[in-house]
Amino acid sequence: MLVGVGPSASAAPAELAVAALAAARFKDAVEQFKDLLKSERRPDWIEGLALAYAGRAEQLAAKGMMKEALALWRIRAEACQLPVFSGPYVGWLLQNKQLETALGLLPSVDKLPAESREPALLQLAAALLVAPERLLGGWSEEGRGQRAAARAAVAACALGEAASLETALQAISFRSPYRDLRPLLKALALQGSDATAAAASLARVSAQGPFEPLARALRVCLMPGDQWLAGLRRLDEAGRSLVLDLKGCPPTQRALVLDLAAAKEASAATPAALLDLLLRHKRALPEPLARRHCLSLLTHVPQKLDAVRAAFLPPSAAEEAQLMALAAEIKQQPDRAESHWLRLVKLLGSTPAGQRRAALVLRRLADEHASHGSDGTLCSHAHDWLEQSLQFDPTDRDSHLRLLRDARLRGDLKQARNRLDAALQHFPADTQVLMAAVEIAQAAGAFKRAAGLARQMLETDPLNPQVRTLIGQAHLAHARKLIGTQKLPAALSELDAAQEWLRSPAERGSVMLLRGLVTEPAAAGDVVLQQAVSDLGGALVGGFQLLLQSKRTLPPIQYAPQPLLRRAGVDITGTPGTAELLALARALDAVPERDAALTPALAVFTGMLQRAAAHMSCSESEHLLICEALHRHGQASLTERFSAAALQRWPERPVFIYLEAAARFADEPWRMPDREWQRLDQVFDDAHDQGDERTASRISQLLGAAEGDGDGDGDGDGDGGGGGDGRASGLPPGLANIDTDQMQTIMREMLELGGVDKFLQLARQQLGAAAFEELRRDIPGNRKQFAQALVKTLAADAVRDLELPVLPPKIRVRKTAKPAAADPRQLDFLDE
Amino acid sequence: MNDPYRLLGVAATADDETIRAAYLAAVRACPPERDPQRFEQVRAAFEAVANERMRLAHELFNTTPPTLDDVLAQLSAQWRPAAPSEAALYRVLGRQD
Repeated sequence: MLVGVGPSASAAPAELAVAALAAARFKDAVEQFKDLLKSERRPDWIEGLALAYAGRAEQLAAKGMMKEALALWRIRAEACQLPVFSGPYVGWLLQNKQLETALGLLPSVDKLPAESREPALLQLAAALLVAPERLLGGWSEEGRGQRAAARAAVAACALGEAASLETALQAISFRSPYRDLRPLLKALALQGSDATAAAASLARVSAQGPFEPLARALRVCLMPGDQWLAGLRRLDEAGRSLVLDLKGCPPTQRALVLDLAAAKEASAATPAALLDLLLRHKRALPEPLARRHCLSLLTHVPQKLDAVRAAFLPPSAAEEAQLMALAAEIKQQPDRAESHWLRLVKLLGSTPAGQRRAALVLRRLADEHASHGSDGTLCSHAHDWLEQSLQFDPTDRDSHLRLLRDARLRGDLKQARNRLDAALQHFPADTQVLMAAVEIAQAAGAFKRAAGLARQMLETDPLNPQVRTLIGQAHLAHARKLIGTQKLPAALSELDAAQEWLRSPAERGSVMLLRGLVTEPAAAGDVVLQQAVSDLGGALVGGFQLLLQSKRTLPPIQYAPQPLLRRAGVDITGTPGTAELLALARALDAVPERDAALTPALAVFTGMLQRAAAHMSCSESEHLLICEALHRHGQASLTERFSAAALQRWPERPVFIYLEAAARFADEPWRMPDREWQRLDQVFDDAHDQGDERTASRISQLLGAAEGDGDGDGDGDGDGGGGGDGRASGLPPGLANIDTDQMQTIMREMLELGGVDKFLQLARQQLGAAAFEELRRDIPGNRKQFAQALVKTLAADAVRDLELPVLPPKIRVRKTAKPAAADPRQLDFLDE
Repeated sequence: MNDPYRLLGVAATADDETIRAAYLAAVRACPPERDPQRFEQVRAAFEAVANERMRLAHELFNTTPPTLDDVLAQLSAQWRPAAPSEAALYRVLGRQD
């Protein structure tokens, strides 16, 4: 007895019995009610005993102890004088396969009054329906007739004939114990063709009715999507079999489906588990399908290749190369992946059918495995891969354009023209190819041809604003050329033409400035210049544009900033406001990078800009716009000035800290002192935490450059600390005086001379494939960055192996990258 | 669901036209404002196999492993729903064979 919870020990026995019943302590309740009934057969105590028996029997049934539950129910009927077939008794009998016992109740049911007989028959309905005739002796004619109608309906449903099913269902009367069969069989007939109507019909079947097992199977069958798989697992064998019959699943696939359902329920669908499952049931699936799935899964579990080989037609050499390449990519082994891809190219490229695939592989290699120069040019491998891809498949416009762009970035106009011809051969009317043609013509100074090509583009795409700008720019460039050669009337007419096409205020301002420069008399030209400066946004941006255009256009001897500014009425002694600074930032953004005219033009305004930096009152985003514009053009001192000003207002803002550091150290990252390096490393985390991934990535690159190229001590002299005593005897004379810095220099030269690939190849040979791949996984970045990172590790190891006194390098433990591990086999690398 | 063909409801041998039509039908059935996640899946599936070059690339470079659902879907695509046998119905209702 629980103290303070139940009634006290002195409570009346009746209260104790009721309390036990309420607390679902049915066993106790049965004993207590039985004791009470010994003294007096009070109706409420009999009812209490019946409830206690029922509760206990249901507890036993729930535990699967059906025989015990049934026995208890019979005791209940006798002790409480209740009909035995009330409640769940008949259902339990059927569940316990005691059909004959259930049907043995029929004579007593028939004797019941009508209102009690109907529910009893309802309980027996399923048993009656499936029972053999021999068990139905002595049953009423009415009961036999109802049963016959129900069985006829089941037969019609199995035949799948809608009309005969309808007739048979109508023969089941509303008062028949089989009446639930009407909506149920209708739903069954509809489930294959109209799931919605079937579900609606199924909803009319009474809950926990006599045909619940059939209704349950049908509900599973109608579950949306793949939910029925989970439902299938909850059915008994007959129910599962019916569902799979209805779905049309052939017997050969049933074991596989049940295993899939089990794996789904257990959330055990790893590629390895699924591959095992498919191999186990390989005969249940069409072989091409099973093989295809297994090959796909092999990319995640390549160690099972032999099992797949044994089970199906073995993979071809090309298939094997492909899956090994993908497996290497999944394991983040880019170099291994590359070699498998190249093997695949070799295999595919030898047949016409495989060449398009080979071309795709090469393009992907160029996209993902190649490094780019700082100027955006392709590395030699990427270049070769793209070129080879076009041999296999010359109809890929993007590859033509990439090679074209690369040739232009390298300044190889002849190559660019050849590329253009090849591209035009396949895409004579393509806007992007024609656009590239215009740009090449402009770069070559063929302005008339550029304008002509652009007009050709307008014929197919008359509203293209980019083309209109290109035409205007071609005329403008031509005008500059003519001004440079003093052909002023022709230049003026080119400026007229340019003005016709150019729409933006900045572009029209440029046209006006050039017009001012060539207008005669000079006084009239001055008026035009002053108007242009005003239109462009004031002294700072107008003056800058004037000097920029003049620098680009006039022969060096005629370029004189101060007289030009005087003509245009530009006073550079003032302090520009925010609007002017923003206008300048926009103007700078429109100037291509590495435009030689920019720095001298901007230098004239340094004083104005420095004053402005000290008195900035713009928003953070505006400030950033200005800093970024200056940074983009490598205006380090101004970027530093504006970033420092920004940091005074928004201290610790990662992007400004980066810009300030980049301005100071981007050109010579090895000069970055440790304090700055550590600060940036911390700011990397801050940027990352703030979701500023771009800044985080830029900081990482800057740190990488400082780490990869630097000697770490900040003084950058690179010659400190060599010499000394204790050198190993018998070393080659060239190595006798070498220290870490010098070794790094040697390594870097090897990298420079031999190229990234050769360097990595040698490193792989010396380190061993496993160690090499491990390092490759640990060190982020592209192949070039990886090679640079290896330099430091390999150099330190090589010096140590030479038994030279190595001055400890300043160790920078970077949060942004795992430091490379040392490897003692470095000496062999030097021998190479 | 990882198989773009299955997501779009087309065969792996479908041509550009068929795939485009299936994509448009899928978008109509499930516009982005109703179910953005589903729409995103449909869009990604279309972009993976919209033309022959993309289909080849998908075949060559796809590393997403097939799932249980993919296997089951391809399996069940061959099934034809059938009427149940009388015996099966009676077994479910409790007949002992």
